[in-house]
Amino acid sequence: MTAKPVKVKITYCAECGYEPQTLDLAKALMYEFGGRLSGIELIPWDSGTFDVTVDGELVHSMRREGGFPESEAVKQAVRSRLSASGTVT
Amino acid sequence: MALGLEEGGWCTCSVKMSTLGRFEMKLPHERWDKGLTYDAYKAGMTRNRERVEENERRVTLDPETVRAFRALPQRLNVLVLAEDWCGDVIANLPVLGRLAREAGTLDIRIFYRDQNDDLIEHWLNQGKYKSIPVVVFFDQQLNEIAHWIERPASVTELRARKRREIYASRPEFGSPDAPVDQLPEDVRAALQAELAKMRDETTPFANAEVQRELRELVTGAKV
Repeated sequence: MTAKPVKVKITYCAECGYEPQTLDLAKALMYEFGGRLSGIELIPWDSGTFDVTVDGELVHSMRREGGFPESEAVKQAVRSRLSASGTVT
Repeated sequence: MALGLEEGGWCTCSVKMSTLGRFEMKLPHERWDKGLTYDAYKAGMTRNRERVEENERRVTLDPETVRAFRALPQRLNVLVLAEDWCGDVIANLPVLGRLAREAGTLDIRIFYRDQNDDLIEHWLNQGKYKSIPVVVFFDQQLNEIAHWIERPASVTELRARKRREIYASRPEFGSPDAPVDQLPEDVRAALQAELAKMRDETTPFANAEVQRELRELVTGAKV
């Protein structure tokens, strides 16, 4: 069974210079999941934001958790989502 | 009171307890000389130079502040910690730059925060955050007189209130605490435009507050 590809959105504070962390995370997800992602959307924002959602579920929020996410934690959230919809990762 | 940090190699600066009970820094001249002048910093910017220069043009200097800085009994050395990607640096450094040019009593040297960790560790915001810009006033012997960090609290408060009003005015913007990526793209773009407009409209207040705080800081210190 093929899973529905997963959409990841990263909302980052452009005023805060969070581009390197954003690109590092996007790159890690691209290499890990390739075509199993329907897309990675990068959203420049403000106010110290660094939010990551996987298919609409907030898996990391700088305001909530503090700091940047470990890429492995985000990868795990993507794997869980893919598994839930039927793919073997 | 010496903390002895200079012996430990933590930094090339000595630290003493001031009469106000704060730890203040004496910066070695050779370290000071490594800082960039305001013009050299701008020339070396890899991005946002046009925003800095636009902000310079938009600053309305407060006559009382210019008078106060012109009347200083001695020239002051002003160390700034900055990075060219930082919104608060882009907004506030031009205010200081214009003031220095107009007053003629301030010598600015700018250091990149991320290349000078020992310096930023000395002026952490609330003792823990590496907020920038940091503006530190020194006398001619490079004894610290006073320092200022990031932006005025009044500006943070005003913009937070305006932000809440924007969200309240348009139900489709949802909650200020909700992730913005959940908004439809057209709504998100509209919200982004409203927030940018608000920041633009509050810039004159922000620039005036930066000048007021710097003036009160320096005139209130023993120069």
